Amino acid sequence: MKQLGPYALAAAAALVIALGSFAAYRNRTFSEAEVARAEAAAEAAARGQKAGPAVIAAAVVLAPKKSARYPFLSHRDAIIGGRTVSLGGPGSPAIHKRLYDAANHCDDHGAFSELSGDSGRVIAAIPTDRGTAVAITQPPSPPEPLPWAILGGLLAIGAVVAYCGITVGGAARTIGLAVGASGLAAPAYIWSGAIPAAAILVIAVAVAALDARGSLRRAARALHEGRIAYAFLSPTLAAMVVIVCVPFVVGLGLGFFDHHRGEWTFVGLDNFAHILSGGGHSLADPLNFWFTVAVTLAWTAVNVILHVTLGVALALVLRKPWLKLRGTFRVLLILPWAIPSYITALIWHGMFQSEYGAINQILATFGLDRVAWFSSWTAAFTANVATNTWLGFPFMMVVALGALQSIPRDLYEAAATDGASAWQKFCHITLPSLRPALGPAVVLGAIWTFNMFNVIYLVSDGQPGGSTNILVTEAYRWAFERGERYGMAAAYATLIFIILAGGTLGIGWLRKRRAR
Amino acid sequence: MKRPGKLSVIAVHAGLAAAVAITLYPVAMVIKKSIEPGKNFALSASPIPHAVTLDHFRELLSTRASSGELLFLRNALNSAVVAVAATVIGLALATSAAYALSRFRFRGRDVSLGSFVVVQMFPATLLLMPLYVLLNRLGLLGSLFGLVLVYATTAIPFCVWTLKGYFDSLPVAIEDAARIDGASAWGVFYRIALPLARPGLAVTALFSFMTAWNEFILASVFMTDERAYTLPVLLNSAVGEHAADWGLFAAGALLTSVPVMALFYALQRHLVGGITAGGVKG
Repeated sequence: MKQLGPYALAAAAALVIALGSFAAYRNRTFSEAEVARAEAAAEAAARGQKAGPAVIAAAVVLAPKKSARYPFLSHRDAIIGGRTVSLGGPGSPAIHKRLYDAANHCDDHGAFSELSGDSGRVIAAIPTDRGTAVAITQPPSPPEPLPWAILGGLLAIGAVVAYCGITVGGAARTIGLAVGASGLAAPAYIWSGAIPAAAILVIAVAVAALDARGSLRRAARALHEGRIAYAFLSPTLAAMVVIVCVPFVVGLGLGFFDHHRGEWTFVGLDNFAHILSGGGHSLADPLNFWFTVAVTLAWTAVNVILHVTLGVALALVLRKPWLKLRGTFRVLLILPWAIPSYITALIWHGMFQSEYGAINQILATFGLDRVAWFSSWTAAFTANVATNTWLGFPFMMVVALGALQSIPRDLYEAAATDGASAWQKFCHITLPSLRPALGPAVVLGAIWTFNMFNVIYLVSDGQPGGSTNILVTEAYRWAFERGERYGMAAAYATLIFIILAGGTLGIGWLRKRRAR
Repeated sequence: MKRPGKLSVIAVHAGLAAAVAITLYPVAMVIKKSIEPGKNFALSASPIPHAVTLDHFRELLSTRASSGELLFLRNALNSAVVAVAATVIGLALATSAAYALSRFRFRGRDVSLGSFVVVQMFPATLLLMPLYVLLNRLGLLGSLFGLVLVYATTAIPFCVWTLKGYFDSLPVAIEDAARIDGASAWGVFYRIALPLARPGLAVTALFSFMTAWNEFILASVFMTDERAYTLPVLLNSAVGEHAADWGLFAAGALLTSVPVMALFYALQRHLVGGITAGGVKG
């Protein structure tokens, strides 16, 4: 039985596809039949005939009359089973409301029939010369059960064919697998046409081919050998796939659609073309994508350089053995990291206010001119950078401190004996030892800064005129401030991802090449 | 190592003191604003308040939601529950994944390792809409549990990276010895590796907790009922579009930051080793 492993793999995939095509077939026939029944019932009602079985309501709704008391309300009567009934009003059954709505919809949009997915109810309405004929039907019987006998039978026959092939061996094994696993293609073709049938055939042939090359056995062995690792890893991977990867792929897909008032239309690469061409704005216009890219790159570079320089410098100072109060200094310098970044951003936004902001007050005490922080690009960009530097240097400082700890002090003493200057010691001992720890930290820090939404959004808010926006805030504005253009936002986010992934890959490639 | 001259020692101390002063200034301004009467941000640059009042705290703590509950306490409880739950779930998942990536060589290892970095590059705005739809489908929109799921998973990549680094820095010999003595894979992980990794775990837990405690965008989009707000959403509404009340905001900011700062202080010893253990080894 164990030899049937490859067959089981192909059969399981085929079974999923076959079940899917059966479900599609069943839904299609079911809805066609029910809609036809509802339409027949509406026509019967129009002719004044009695309603058939499983019809919840059939009526001819008469033309609306304006309500005498409230001119904005209109009132409709309906003929139900030969009697004229008034629709609506206190104590009337809920189904009357459905009749009323359906008649209105029919008057506005013409004849229609609509299947409600959950209950299987169908509402059909057709205009007649007496009024609007409406029928609401309920399915008389539950939908067809799954054809387990057919599926099971075909799977069993397939298993026998595959087993025979495997027992004979050689080419018969491959043919037996391919033929045995394609059995379900026949019912899939009958139910839903060529596409699912072809998918099953492709899977069957692919599994047989992989089996012939021995790939399946090797994969099984790798799976078996790494089973402990996979067991440890799989819960995390599953969670990541559901909460991060699926939304990510959906997000990538949204970039090809345009969203307008709740309607999604497929527009292909239009969003990307619009963004990459600058959207009709000149290069110096903040709304041009390339302008934002330039701002984002400058933002990332300036911040990372400042974070690393400040972090390393402070770490070097904190390591001096003669430093007093070292622990206190360290704790206080890490403090910004502990404060939630949106709080930091809001505080700094307040401190940069031009009228009574603290920064301008300080400038004034030194006899300097007040600066309107959010009216010029340079000032606003500086304000953002100042905030983010305050926020970000402790991380680099802690990383640098950790890396410095690993340098043995003997190295410095040996260098000192050889007469090395402080600068030489820094270049030849400190920097090389910092690199392995700082490298990944810089990459991570660059990614975080690139996507640092809070600071830009809460400190300068893109002022003046959107010129300090970075790519993430721009994407956010497309989604939430420019009429819910989710498609554009998704396209923006996709481009952000491409830039970051490209950049990281490029850096990795450069480092590998230099190491060689 | 030789001791530098007295002047440069004083200069270094003065420089550090200046750096600390700049670091502390915004914090001091928040403290000042939280105990100073008035709603405007600052009328002077001095961090010393001109008058002291506890009105902001009183107002913050006594504001009631439309249901009659105390809003700040309710939201603080939400934040705490979400952050703790997200930390526990996220840490459990990240630890096992990091252990597998550090200790085993298997097919797909490099790909999974790389994917944890790539995931860091997904902008949250890209995930916002699909996550909204996903949570809506699962019936978890506006529920704290939905927020826990999202926070736990989004914190995982960074946690896996730091923890993998930490496991890399631990000697394998002890685990091998335990295995020879007949311990199961789970036993080795649970009884040997986990206790040794405790400092790394503490730091990672801190990051996980902070991510959840501080997150603002997703919470403000997913949470519509003020009773289900987390603290960041509540605080942002204090300085919203219309009437910014900086006193209220400062008091809330202070109360929000204190738990994180306390955790930071408690764990700061481990911070330096916990975060860079792996980086040093590359």
